[in-house]
Amino acid sequence: MTVSTDFRVLTRKRKVAILLSNGLRETIKAFNSNKTSWVGLGLFMIVVVVALLASWISPYDPIDQHISNRLQGPSDDFLLGTDYFGRDILSRLFYGARISLLIGLLSITVAIVVGSFIGVVAGYFGGRVDLVLMQTMDILLAFPSLILGLIIVAMLGPSITNLVIAIALTAVPPFARIARSPTLIIKEREFIEAGRSLGYSDARLMGLHILPNILPEILVMGSLWMATAIRVEASLAFIGLGVKPPTPTWGGMIREGFENILDGPWLAVWPGLAILVVVFSLNLLGDGLRDAIDPKLRGEGAE
Amino acid sequence: MKKFLITTMAAAFAAVSFASSLLAEEKTTLVVGIGFQDANNLDPHQSPSVVDKALFNWMFNGLVRIKPGQANPEFIEPDLAQSWASNADGTEWTFNLREGVQCHHGYGELTSDDIVYSINRAADPDRSGFAGSFKALKSIEALDKYTVRVSLKNPIPSLLGLLSNYHGGNIVCKKAAEEMGEDFNKKPVGTGPFMFEEYQSQQLVRLKANDDYFRGKPKIREIVYRYIPSDASRDLAFASGEVDMIFGKQDSKWIERTAKVPGAVVAVMEPAELSTLYLNVTVKPLDDIRVRKAIAHAIDRAGLVKLKGKAANREAKSIVPIGYLGFSEDVPLLPYDPDKARKLLTEAGYPDGITIKTIHTTLPIMATTMEVVQAQLRESGINLEIEPVEHATFHSKIREDLSPVVHYAAARFPVADVYLTNFFHSRSTVNTPTAITNFSHCSAADAEIDAARAEPDVNKQKALWQTAQEKIMADVCGIPMIEALQVWAYKDNLDLGYELKGNLNLAPTLTEASHFKN
Repeated sequence: MTVSTDFRVLTRKRKVAILLSNGLRETIKAFNSNKTSWVGLGLFMIVVVVALLASWISPYDPIDQHISNRLQGPSDDFLLGTDYFGRDILSRLFYGARISLLIGLLSITVAIVVGSFIGVVAGYFGGRVDLVLMQTMDILLAFPSLILGLIIVAMLGPSITNLVIAIALTAVPPFARIARSPTLIIKEREFIEAGRSLGYSDARLMGLHILPNILPEILVMGSLWMATAIRVEASLAFIGLGVKPPTPTWGGMIREGFENILDGPWLAVWPGLAILVVVFSLNLLGDGLRDAIDPKLRGEGAE
Repeated sequence: MKKFLITTMAAAFAAVSFASSLLAEEKTTLVVGIGFQDANNLDPHQSPSVVDKALFNWMFNGLVRIKPGQANPEFIEPDLAQSWASNADGTEWTFNLREGVQCHHGYGELTSDDIVYSINRAADPDRSGFAGSFKALKSIEALDKYTVRVSLKNPIPSLLGLLSNYHGGNIVCKKAAEEMGEDFNKKPVGTGPFMFEEYQSQQLVRLKANDDYFRGKPKIREIVYRYIPSDASRDLAFASGEVDMIFGKQDSKWIERTAKVPGAVVAVMEPAELSTLYLNVTVKPLDDIRVRKAIAHAIDRAGLVKLKGKAANREAKSIVPIGYLGFSEDVPLLPYDPDKARKLLTEAGYPDGITIKTIHTTLPIMATTMEVVQAQLRESGINLEIEPVEHATFHSKIREDLSPVVHYAAARFPVADVYLTNFFHSRSTVNTPTAITNFSHCSAADAEIDAARAEPDVNKQKALWQTAQEKIMADVCGIPMIEALQVWAYKDNLDLGYELKGNLNLAPTLTEASHFKN
């Protein structure tokens, strides 16, 4: 973390390259110490690839209804069976991955940007700014995230944008907290002092000197919170506040499966498993990344 | 010692089996599971909703009633009135009331005053959702304690239907209604075999037997009417014996499966609810008749019936449900023809198709129909955006005229006049002072509907109704889709006390004679 003082003389490009290769090496080392992280990464990549290739690998159009084949169990024609409208479950799962990942990624990106901004500003300026910002975050944190999301979606109406806003808002406070505490420590360090005496602006100090140093921790939190975001999206869809029909979403599929659970128990099982796999893989991945940046655990990778 | 043990055990066993047989004999509580989240409004003059009608049916009487188990006005028989007579042209009716009928909860004897009050209340748009049906009512007066006279501005197709135990015909007790005012829906008071006991929001309504009921003490002592919106939960509760009677799914698969539950009786009964897609003819792009026709050509009725199965569903034939007095089969429906639909859209200036919006309930029975419609419309280049909302919100939003396309499923009193007036007369347009349920802002056949109502000659009247149906269809104010019969299941140890063929109130009637067999 003291890198920026060490090679002040290098070009910015070079600095970034060194930082990246260091980070990558550390990450691989940590991943090796905890082999399950590779499993997490692998599973997650599979889901990402499936989502990206959904339109090519899906056997059917996910919203095409084959009414004469409705509520069928797994068969050669429909590998995972069909739903109440005779839509192919497998294709819907593939396309559903897109929505889940999209909402998960977007909302967490928004939460990271907004949350770390608030956290860094609060930590950097301290005093009254800190008090007001962090108390506001505490108020938001007091709401269970699902309830908060539910209120927002109910007010704005269900659409992808609104879901992203709602889920992002529930995830902002934890990122603000994560960003604030290291900022408090780093702003007292010599290189910040040095920057200040050189007349750097607050914005420059925060953006170019503090942020890069706390980013790894934030990104680790990001992968863990993405799992939560995907679960919240599914929960909202389950209670009917998800993306509008007929767009396939995993939560919506579980809801439909639940309505027809006595006619086709498999309907709720497949999307349930899909959510399980994604959340599981993100958690494994997050754990591995956390080990990678945790100085206390860093030594262990090298045996 | 051993002998003692055996004896005690035997005694205990005997006691237990005796107790259980005693319990079995005493099964007098009927638990009903209805597929809705919550009550709509427990005032019988306010709510036309399926979710409340069953309760009204068990709690209230009309001047006349349709025989329990029937849904056809042919079976009208005395209820609160013992006899009635009308003058030659049918504009003045006299009813002789049954004596000694008691209102629930000690509100005293029901007399002609109560009848006058109740009918006037039902005809008052401020206090009733059915005021529109009483348009022809000139006056109602009490001649003496047990006689009332109803005067009409003009003869109407079915005055007895209007005064039966249905919608505005349900008689409320004056003293109670006046005392409670707007809170009447919190404790509705009538004269029926069962009386209101408690309501727990989103949980249940509890009714208890009215021992003073004029047809005799009800054998069922208590009815617990539970709100169980999830189909699966309701089915499981029924299979496990937790509830004795459930609101079913209008779906062949459901009917087949439920019939296999041990001790279950599945009843598929009249009347059918007609699912219609109402198109607001005043907003873009639906104001263009070619667009409305395109939508009509894009809907495949046979496909909808295929989804839900023939056991409880049939294709609609007109904008008036099949079998209603005045229903006409000779009304040309626009056939399913996606090519024609696309052609019409192109002609109307939308070669790339259109996007239309609807606010729709999440109630599975209706939502599934709408998702198939959505898929069918897509084939013809019509993108239907569905905004899903909870059922009660749906009902209020469509009445605020917020949804250009409204999917509504309803059964009404089986006379064409009621359906035509409620859904297609310009006076009934939503978001107006005289609103009922004209979601399409239709005004294509106002003259015919009005003329038919006042027409004394039955054949001429039918001809007018036929013209009205043709005109409305030609204007495509609404697209009739499917008709779904009522589906209920109950345990075979429940003897309703009559043969169940139907009920206009959409649930099996429970009478004083209904009981559990052993």
